[in-house]
Amino acid sequence: MARVQEANPLEILRRRRIDATVMQVLLLVLALWWLFPLITVIRQSLQVGGFGNYAHVLSTTLNGVFLPRTFLNSFVVALLHAFFVLAAGSMAGYAFSRLRFRGRELAYYLVLVFLAVPATAVIVPVYFLTGKLGLFNSYLGVALPEAALTLPFAVLLLRNYADGIDGSFFEAASIDGAGHFRMFTSIFLPLSRPTLINLGTLCIMWSFQDFIFPSLIIKSPQLTTAAQAVQTIRSAFSPTPQQTAQFFAALVLLAVPAVVLIVIGLRWMTMGLTSGGAKE
Amino acid sequence: MGSGVEARKGRSDGLVALLFLIPLLFFYGLYYLYAFGFLAQVSRQRVSLTFVNAVNVGWDNFRLVATDPLFRRSVLNTLLFAGISICAALTVGFLLAMMISTGVRGRKLLYGIFLLPSLIPLSLFATVFGQMLETKDGAFNSLFRAVGLPGLQQDWLGNTGSGYAAVAILLVYLIGLPIMYYTSDVTSINLSLIESATIDGAGTWQIFRLMLFPLLRNTHKTVILSVLLGSFRAFDVIFFSTGGQPGGRTSITGTYIYNAALGNDRVGYAAAASLIVLVIALLISFGQLLLTRKDR
Repeated sequence: MARVQEANPLEILRRRRIDATVMQVLLLVLALWWLFPLITVIRQSLQVGGFGNYAHVLSTTLNGVFLPRTFLNSFVVALLHAFFVLAAGSMAGYAFSRLRFRGRELAYYLVLVFLAVPATAVIVPVYFLTGKLGLFNSYLGVALPEAALTLPFAVLLLRNYADGIDGSFFEAASIDGAGHFRMFTSIFLPLSRPTLINLGTLCIMWSFQDFIFPSLIIKSPQLTTAAQAVQTIRSAFSPTPQQTAQFFAALVLLAVPAVVLIVIGLRWMTMGLTSGGAKE
Repeated sequence: MGSGVEARKGRSDGLVALLFLIPLLFFYGLYYLYAFGFLAQVSRQRVSLTFVNAVNVGWDNFRLVATDPLFRRSVLNTLLFAGISICAALTVGFLLAMMISTGVRGRKLLYGIFLLPSLIPLSLFATVFGQMLETKDGAFNSLFRAVGLPGLQQDWLGNTGSGYAAVAILLVYLIGLPIMYYTSDVTSINLSLIESATIDGAGTWQIFRLMLFPLLRNTHKTVILSVLLGSFRAFDVIFFSTGGQPGGRTSITGTYIYNAALGNDRVGYAAAASLIVLVIALLISFGQLLLTRKDR
């Protein structure tokens, strides 16, 4: 795995003043293009009614949905999702890396093959299962299938990480008479903390992004998540200029939790995705 | 990387391993094994989301799905859109990552800006994008008028060509992941290689194109595979932007299944389509595992 080093080899290219200026200008122009949707949505949200639109959508329920509540809902689902993935993923990562058992490699690749399963392809069974388990309108009902879809990635990431841990840590513990559960809790978990943080941040982001499972499982407006609310609140606004502006204000607000997460956790997301990722 | 080499020889931890794998097996058993079995069963029925009064119809659903031109189109679109994303990643994504890596001013902010569309909920970004496509007052047409290029104005979702163009623009916005891969991997390139190239008088663009592009070929592979896999998982991106318009011509496998199951309540039919898509996705995943294994 490539470690991110501080000194970037490309920085010497900055010595060429003209090229550096060209790049700076090009990047600024492209950044403007990338910000164009954001600029548009903010501009539209203020066009009729100004900042009052934000106050309005924050203080009323839209089709029964109260926006601040959607942030809380998204967050609870995200935490549950992260907990399941970290718990099941770290145990499996340890097993595939440190334990010897017959068919280990075959089992490992069988686990990884499910990296490709699309959420849309399992909506029919998930709908049925959720009904059987009585999990409609519950955070758990959303977090469980989300965790199932994230786990192949988690196992890949954590096994790769565990393979890279110096074996002498475990040997020393083994000589001292530590069993596997002891080694898992007092050596593997503390040593994997950075990777677990990366993975946890990714889980939270993926949960914030998920629309399919919330829309399938949560029908109650009180439990609607932020990504799901994009659709739920839409019909609460009629196509008048004022209400269209309010709809845009609501869209801006719905992005806030994700943006906060990006500002805080971008470093960990990048490390998680690039160090485990689709690479070996 | 060696693993488990130090474990005592000849001893198997089978039972312990089973205990460690129980949580994983719970999720896999429920949401993969049971789920796929259930799909196989339902795919030969005519049934609604209440799952009562199922009528056995044999292989009819598969025949209907396979002969539906819209389904074939959605599979081809999924691959086409993956192709567009891959091209964008290898060109625009690569260049953006390289330019940011030279340490331009405000590079952390720029990095964040280019990643933003990929990291916020896609339902949100695609909805905003869909609004920008509106013919009369949409942001894109207004922008084209404002910069004196009224010829670029489109009835975006009015015909197939401009519908595809709209999706292509949208996909270019979403190249955050490849940018992450490139910016991370370029740091591992040997500094002296670039130094000697600059001393030999190679220009910046030459270094990008002739030196770094070939040097990062493993990253290209990672990018291509991850985009290809991601494309079959895509759903929100089309559902909230074009909604498959015009006339389902920009739909992808994700929106096709979703509409069949939840829009039209044809659950058996949706299950058959799901199984076909699953087989394609698992084949790609299998191919990826074979490819990356050889590299070891």
